[in-house]
Amino acid sequence: MASTPQMTGVLPPTTKPAELEYGGDEVSALVLDPGTGTTRCGFAGEDTPKTCVPTSYGIVPDPEEQKYFGKLKIGENPINSVVEGMEIRNPMSEGIVENWEVATEIWRHCIEYRLSSRIEEHPLIVTEPIWNPLKKREKTTEIVFEDFNAPAYFLVKSAVCESFANSKPSALVVDMGHAYTSVTPVIDGIPLRKGSERTTLAGQHLTNQLRHQFTELGIRMAPWLTLKSKTPYTDLAAAPPLRTKDFGFQPHQSFLDLQQDRFIHEFKECVSETWPEAKTFPADINNLPDNFRGIADKAFEFPDGYQRRFGIDRFLAPESLFNPSISPKPITGDLPKGIAEMIKDSIDHLDADIRANMLNNIVVVGGTSLLYRINERLNHELMTMFPGPRVKIHSPGQIPERKYSAWLGGSILASCGAFHQLWISKQEYDEVGANIIERRAK
Amino acid sequence: MVGPGFRDDHILLIAPGSRITLAQLGLPESFTPAKLRFPTRMFPGLEEGQYLPNKVHELKEGEEMLLRNGEVMTAGPNGKPIKKRKVDSASKSSTTTQTAAKSADSKGDTTMADATDDREENEGEGGDEDEKMDGTKEEGTNSKLFYEDDEDEEGAVWCLDQGRIVNWEAFFALLLHIHETLNPTFHTPILMVSQPCWTCTDKERICQFIFEKLKTPGFGMMDAAAAINAAYNVQHSLVIDVGYEKTDITALIDWNIQEVNRTTIPFGGNSMNKHLQKLLPELTEDEIDQLKRSNICEILPPGVPIPGEEDTDRDTVVRPVEPTTIGMGGVAQPKALDEEGNEEEEEGVTNIAAIVASGKTQEYLAKKEKEKADRKAGLAAGEKRLPNYKRENNSFFYVEKIQNSVIESGKTDHPTEIPDGERMDVDVAPPTAEEPKPAEEASTTSGVDGPLPASSTEEKRPDTEGAKVVPDVEANKSGPSLMESMFSATKEDDDAKRAQEKALRREEKKRQEAAQSGEKRKEIEVGTERFKAAEGGILEAIADAAHRVVSSADNYNLRSECWNSVIIAGGGCRVKGFKDALLNTIVTKYQVSPSSGTIFTSELPSNIPTPSGTGTNTPQPTAFNSQQPNALLLQAAANNAALAAAGQHHLSIPQPNQGPTSIKVAKIPEYFPEWKDHGFDECMFLGAQLGAKIYFVTDQGASKGFVTRADYNSQGPQAIHNI
Repeated sequence: MASTPQMTGVLPPTTKPAELEYGGDEVSALVLDPGTGTTRCGFAGEDTPKTCVPTSYGIVPDPEEQKYFGKLKIGENPINSVVEGMEIRNPMSEGIVENWEVATEIWRHCIEYRLSSRIEEHPLIVTEPIWNPLKKREKTTEIVFEDFNAPAYFLVKSAVCESFANSKPSALVVDMGHAYTSVTPVIDGIPLRKGSERTTLAGQHLTNQLRHQFTELGIRMAPWLTLKSKTPYTDLAAAPPLRTKDFGFQPHQSFLDLQQDRFIHEFKECVSETWPEAKTFPADINNLPDNFRGIADKAFEFPDGYQRRFGIDRFLAPESLFNPSISPKPITGDLPKGIAEMIKDSIDHLDADIRANMLNNIVVVGGTSLLYRINERLNHELMTMFPGPRVKIHSPGQIPERKYSAWLGGSILASCGAFHQLWISKQEYDEVGANIIERRAK
Repeated sequence: MVGPGFRDDHILLIAPGSRITLAQLGLPESFTPAKLRFPTRMFPGLEEGQYLPNKVHELKEGEEMLLRNGEVMTAGPNGKPIKKRKVDSASKSSTTTQTAAKSADSKGDTTMADATDDREENEGEGGDEDEKMDGTKEEGTNSKLFYEDDEDEEGAVWCLDQGRIVNWEAFFALLLHIHETLNPTFHTPILMVSQPCWTCTDKERICQFIFEKLKTPGFGMMDAAAAINAAYNVQHSLVIDVGYEKTDITALIDWNIQEVNRTTIPFGGNSMNKHLQKLLPELTEDEIDQLKRSNICEILPPGVPIPGEEDTDRDTVVRPVEPTTIGMGGVAQPKALDEEGNEEEEEGVTNIAAIVASGKTQEYLAKKEKEKADRKAGLAAGEKRLPNYKRENNSFFYVEKIQNSVIESGKTDHPTEIPDGERMDVDVAPPTAEEPKPAEEASTTSGVDGPLPASSTEEKRPDTEGAKVVPDVEANKSGPSLMESMFSATKEDDDAKRAQEKALRREEKKRQEAAQSGEKRKEIEVGTERFKAAEGGILEAIADAAHRVVSSADNYNLRSECWNSVIIAGGGCRVKGFKDALLNTIVTKYQVSPSSGTIFTSELPSNIPTPSGTGTNTPQPTAFNSQQPNALLLQAAANNAALAAAGQHHLSIPQPNQGPTSIKVAKIPEYFPEWKDHGFDECMFLGAQLGAKIYFVTDQGASKGFVTRADYNSQGPQAIHNI
C-alpha cells in the first residue's frame, strides 16, 4: 500500500496505544462508483457497496449562502423530505460530472456517511464511463488529491470493472444504467474505444415514457409524500377527491417528479415487462389482430389508491428500448437506434477476428437489465441478427450483482495484489500534476 | 480455533444510546432488562481532557452555593462544607402556588432536613477522601471545596448525538467509568451494541480503545438492529428503532442487515417534545417531557376525533382494513366511538346478562341514571368520568425534583443510578390488551431496579390536606386511556369498583411515599394539544422512510416478509398509541389491496375488457404467500420460456408482486418473564444478551463472533470487521 498512516496522533491523549501494541498498517481502499442515478461507495474486497446514495441533490434557495446560493441537501433522507422551495437537481450530465463542487460534496457524503470519517487515509479507486473526456479525468484527479487528500488513487473504466466482476477478461459489456445504455468491448482488460456505443435508451427514458403514458391515461400521479391516505377506486371518471396534505406551500415541481419516480420505479419492477420476441410486437396496441394470443393482466395500485389492470400496454415502454419509434412519448430529434441495433453496430465495428469471441461473451449488467425478461428479448434479437450458436449472454443471477456490477469489479480490482503497482500516489501527483492520470491510466 | 472459555457471569454488555447507556455484568439465568443505566454524558473535569461522571462545583473559601434542596452550602476554611437551611427563597417561591403542595413541603421539611444534612456532610467528606487518594486535587491547602452534584446537568457533555459519537474523549471516559463501576474480572469479554450510524473507522477506534485500555480478552459488536431482531427471533423483519433524536430503520433478510438500504432519519422522541413545546409554549421543557410521558398524552387512532374539535384536518374515514391484515397486536380497529350513545348501548348489551345474573340490576340502573343526569348536568361533572380521549382538558401532575438525595440515600450502593430528568426510560405503560387496568395502576413503573426514580411520571396526587379535597377519588385522576377503556368497557361493574379501591389504596401509598421524598407536584392542565404529540410529521417521516427501505431491498420476494414482521422498538415509541398510530400510517398510505398485489389474477386476455371489480373474484392473497410466492409466475415464465427458445442460460429474475399487501407487527417474544413486565422497548438489550450467550459461551468463538486478544494483536483494530 502506498501509505501507512500513523495511528498515533489520531487517538486522544487519554488513549494513547501502548508501544508494543498494534501499530496500524493495512488500510483498506475505498471504491467509488458515481452514476447518474445513484453513487455507490464501499470498501475494496467486499461484495456489495456500503452506501448507495442518490446522486440527485436538493437545493433550498438562500441568497446568503455564498457558494451555491442555497443550502445543499444530500442523501436519501434529505431529498425525500418536503422542504419549502427545495429544488432537485443532478450534478451529472451525459453520465459524467458537470457540477464538480456539488459532486465533490456528494462523494464526500458517501464516504463519510458510513465508511470513514477519515477520508484522507484511504486509497481511492473511482470508476468512469469510457466517454469521459481528458479534462474531466484531470479534474477528478485534482479533487481526489486536493480536496480529499487521498494517499493514492486510480481511475478505472466501469466497463472493465463489469467484465472483471463477471470474471471475464474479454467481454462485450452491455451496461443498462439510469441515464445511458452503453456497449463497450473489453479485450484482456482493455476497453476499446472503437466499437463502443451509447444511447439514452435506459432507465430514465423508461421513467419518462411511463410518466407520459400515465398522463395520457389521465392518472393523477400524486406521490405518497403529498398524500394523507389513499382511497381505493378503479374508475378514473369517478375519482374521489385527493386527500392531499397541506404544507402551506407548493413543493417544487422537480421534487414532485422525484417522488413520482418512486412509484414509477415500483411499476417498472412489478408490472413492466419486455416483449420476449423481436419484431412480433403489435404495431397498434389499440387494434390487435384477432389471432393475437392473450396477455395476462397485471394490476397496479397508485399511491392515491387508483387501481388499474395493465395488459399489453405494460409492454409498451420497454418495447421502446428496442424499437424507439413505438415510444408512447415521441422522441424529439433524431430517432436513436434500438439497443439491439446498437450492439450490432458495435460488433460490426470490431475486427473480424474478435467478433466471435465478443458474441460469445456478452455481459449484460446495470439496474435496467433487471426489467422483466429483457435478457430473453436481447437474446432473441441477437440470435436473429447473428444466426448460429455463437451468441451467449451472461448476466449475474443475483440482483445486487447486476446493480452494483461496476462497483463490485472495482472492489475486486483494488483488492487484488497485482493492482498495487498501479496506484498513483500523492507524491507522483505532486511532482507531475493532474496530467499524471493520462500517463498512468489511459 | 478454540476460543477461551468464558463464563456467563463474566460477560460485560454495554449498549450506548444517545441519552442512556445500558450496561450489565454477567448473564443471568433468565435474561433481564439491563441492570445499570448510565446517562450518556460526562462532565468536564477540573483538568483539561479529564471527564467525571458527575458535575463538580468548585468553591473558593467563603463562596456560597445554593443547592437544589434549598440549602446553601458555604465553603468554610480548609474546604469544609458548611450548610445552612435557607428557609424562604428557594424552596417555597419556586414551587407551586398550590397550598396543598406547600403544606406537603413544610411537612416534609421538618422530617427530612436532618437526614439530608447528615448525608450531605457524609458525602462531602467521602468525596474529600477520594479526591485525596486520587491525588488530583489538593484539599485544604488552597481552601477549595469540591462538591459533587448528582443533579446538576449544566455543562454536561453528551457523548452521542443522533447516535454518532461526537465527543470521543467523553465517550471513552464514560466507557472507562462504566468499566470501573462494574469492575469486572480479567476474563470478562465485552459485547457492545453498536449504533447503525457508526462508521467503520468509529468501530475500529472503539475496538482499539477496548483492547488497549480495558484489556479485555474478547470484544464483539452487535448492531442495534440485529440485536432487536435477535430478541424477536424472526428471520426477516423491518426494524424501526425510535430513539431520542433519530430513528433507525433497517430491513433484515435472513437475519442479515440490508446494509445498503438502511437509513437513519432525524426524528425521534425529542421531536415530539419539540412539537409539544411549540403547541404549548407556556410550559417548560421539563414539564413538556413529563407531559409526554404522562398518561394523558396519547396518540389517538384514526377515526377517533380529538374532543371538542370539529377537525377537518383529521380524516375520520379510514381505508377499510381487511381483517386478515390485522395480525396479533396489529392495527387497532377504529371503533365507532364518536357517538357516546352507541357505545353506551353496546356496553349495555354486553353487560346486561352479567348484571342480571349478579342481581344488581337496580344498582346498575340507578348508576346509569345518575351518569346520564351527570352528563346532562354539565360537562364539569360528567367530564371527570370520561376517558382521556373524550375530554377536552385533562391534567397531569408535574413532579419537580427537589430532594432526590433522600431517595438516593436508599441506594447508595448504586451511586451511578442517577435519576435524570431527561432520561427516556420511564415506563409509559405498554398497552396491555389482556388485563384491563385502571390508568393509575397500569402506569406504575415496573420498577425492576429497586426504588422508583424520582422522575417517574405517574400522576401522584399532592398531599391535599385541607385544600381542594375532592370527595371522589376517581374524579381527580385522569380517565382511563382509550385502549384501556376500550377493553375495560365490557368489564363488570363490580370488578371496576374493586380496581378503584385498589387504585385508591395505591394512591394513598403513593401519597405517603411522595410526602416522604419531598417532591413537589403541581397539577398542570392541558387541552387537546396532548393528542398532537406526533403531528409534527414524525409518523409520516418514519412511514415513508420505512417504505423506501423495504422497497429498495434487493430480494424482491422477501420484502413482503419484512412487512409481515415490523418491529417497533426504542425509547421514543413509548408514547401511548404511538406504535399503533405509526402502523396505521404505514397501512393507510402504503399498503396495497391484495388484488393489486397478486398477478395472473385473471387469465383473461387483455383484449377482453378488463373487469372492474377489485378483488371479489380474485384468489385470496394467502395463495400467493411466503411459501410459494411465485409458483404461478414460475409456471407461466416456464411456459413462455419454452415458447421462446429452448436452453436459455441467462436467468430472468422473477418479477415481484406489488406490495406490501399486508403489514403486521412481529410477535412479542415469549419466555422472558422479566422483560414482559419491563416492556420490549429496550429489547435491543435482550438481543445483546442472547448474542453474548451464543458468541461467548455457546460456540466459544468457533464462528468468530468476536475478536480475541490474539486476533487483535495480529490484525489490529480492523479485526472488528472480520466478525
